[in-house]
Amino acid sequence: MQNFIASIAQASQLALAPPAYVDDGSIWHHISDALNQSLYRVLTLLIAVLPGILAFFVALAVFTLCGMLISWLLRRCLSWIKFDQRLARMSGDGWTPSSPPTEIVARASFWLCVLLGLIIGVSAFDASYATGTALPISLLPYVTHVVGAVFLLIAGIVIARFLARSVLISAVNAQLQYARFLSLGVKWLVLVLTAAMALDHLEVGGKIVELAFGILFGGIVLTLTLAVGLGSRDLVSRSLESRVERTGEHSPIAHTASSSSEQIRHF
Amino acid sequence: MTTENSTSAETSTIDQTTADLLVVGAAVPPEEFDALLANLAVAFPVETVVIARQDQQVANAPANLRMIAAPQSSAAWMLKPADFVNAYEIAREQRTRAILMLGSEAHSLKPQALRELADAALSGTIDLVVPRYTLPPHTGLINSAILYPLTRALFATRTRFPLTIDLAFSTRMAERLATVGKRFAAANQVDAIVWPVNEAAVAGFAMDEVDVGTRSVPQPSDPDMNTILALVTGSLFADIETKAAFWQRPRRLPPVRRPVPETPLADGTADIARMVEAFRLANANLQEIWSLVLPPNSLLALKRISVLDAQSFHMPENLWARIVFDFVIAYKLRTINRGHLMGALIPLYLAWVASHLNVTASGASSEHHIEAVAAAFEADKPYLVARWRWPDRFGS
Repeated sequence: MQNFIASIAQASQLALAPPAYVDDGSIWHHISDALNQSLYRVLTLLIAVLPGILAFFVALAVFTLCGMLISWLLRRCLSWIKFDQRLARMSGDGWTPSSPPTEIVARASFWLCVLLGLIIGVSAFDASYATGTALPISLLPYVTHVVGAVFLLIAGIVIARFLARSVLISAVNAQLQYARFLSLGVKWLVLVLTAAMALDHLEVGGKIVELAFGILFGGIVLTLTLAVGLGSRDLVSRSLESRVERTGEHSPIAHTASSSSEQIRHF
Repeated sequence: MTTENSTSAETSTIDQTTADLLVVGAAVPPEEFDALLANLAVAFPVETVVIARQDQQVANAPANLRMIAAPQSSAAWMLKPADFVNAYEIAREQRTRAILMLGSEAHSLKPQALRELADAALSGTIDLVVPRYTLPPHTGLINSAILYPLTRALFATRTRFPLTIDLAFSTRMAERLATVGKRFAAANQVDAIVWPVNEAAVAGFAMDEVDVGTRSVPQPSDPDMNTILALVTGSLFADIETKAAFWQRPRRLPPVRRPVPETPLADGTADIARMVEAFRLANANLQEIWSLVLPPNSLLALKRISVLDAQSFHMPENLWARIVFDFVIAYKLRTINRGHLMGALIPLYLAWVASHLNVTASGASSEHHIEAVAAAFEADKPYLVARWRWPDRFGS
């Protein structure tokens, strides 16, 4: 490997040879030395990283192939034992997915293998890099952290969307005029929390992120508290009054199912 | 499964003589049960009737009304799958010819009504007898808006109250209901409540309605509209999904056997403005969610009616039918979370209620309007079938 690097360095030295009319101790000699050293460093780094990248792709390819094989085997076995019919008989009408259960199991096993290959590939890359070289490239070990942070972000966005919809629908059905504002507030609370967690996972920002998160989160909560507290005074007082009245009448069962009027019965 | 075993153990000690009718009642307070017992004594003076009840100690029960122990009933509000399973087990042991299941507040049913329900089931020609109640105006609106029109359009039955409070049925029907009830229990769908009528339609069993007059309708213990609408409508939507192979085929609706009853007019003091306001608020805020479920022409129609005054507010019947059909499709496709879906339906349902109240306030009969809504559902059924088969075809 060292011979290879030395030969490349020699070749580059020849290519960058100074003009004949310049003395040996001229500036060209120094430039040539500096460039040789840079090239040596880059090539050393590339060679140090290459096994890791290769390990990553090999792991991914092997596990993808394994996934395909397992998926094919599962599909054949489950079809042979009539898994779909048995499951339908056991679960009754409760679970009716859009795809057949056999297909779902086969696909899940395939993607599980791919995910496993990805994780093992990244670990192999990380390990190979850490032991293979002492050169400081601070971004490369970050790949594992980046993957974790991406998963965190995806989960956070999904949860934020779900909670925002839940709050929006509940608030609209409770006839709160600021339903959208409330929903947006909840959404951004979760997104800010997720972003802070992701940055913390990436070890970016340190104390600044913590501080900024505290200020933002506190600010959103305070804004929501003020808005809801001031905006729904009537609603809260009405709710408390009706509760007190109900307790006074000793009738825990409401006779109208949340109807808008006393005359209407939805059931 | 445990309840079935306990039922067998408890009833095994009782003389197994044949009886005409098994009456299974919901868990009710003693004074209500005494009133029901008195009505049953009047309704069945000579027939042998077995009454299944948790607490079988009843003083002064007539000789022909035999009390037996029954497992704990889950029918606090509506009949649930486990109740049908238990009823069938008891009926098989007691060798009864028919079963009469009564929901909460059944003491408000007249003896004549009880008699007619039982007679129809005992006749041997009808498998499922569903009561038709005479309710005050503006009662049972979810039934009128969603359950009745959907059941009629898809299962070709004119049963006015598919949400069963009371039922009478033959042993053949009992066996079928128990089988399906066990399946629901195994699938952990213990809250399924809107299915017996559909099941009878799928099985091809004979059904009939009996006018039972007035009845006190039990109300759910949880007054939260979100929970109850999701429970009732979700139960029907799930059953529609299960029985898709049946209702996609065109079926002829049985002929009208009784005239549409004239309901007394309401005094028009219902709070329509508040419901319309709730709909407007939803129209302003829920567009993002509705647009995932409803086609653009429905959204446009909703936008148009949202600007109407509360007094002149009207939701066209065909628009309501299409909205419900689109929600059925979204339920099947899981376009959004099913809890969210049902929550997003509430303001639209309130808009229909406001429209219905305006129609009845203008002097039109409530039942005639409900029949018009049901007819709109029938007319638009091809849209549902088309979208069920090809969901991507959004819009007409």
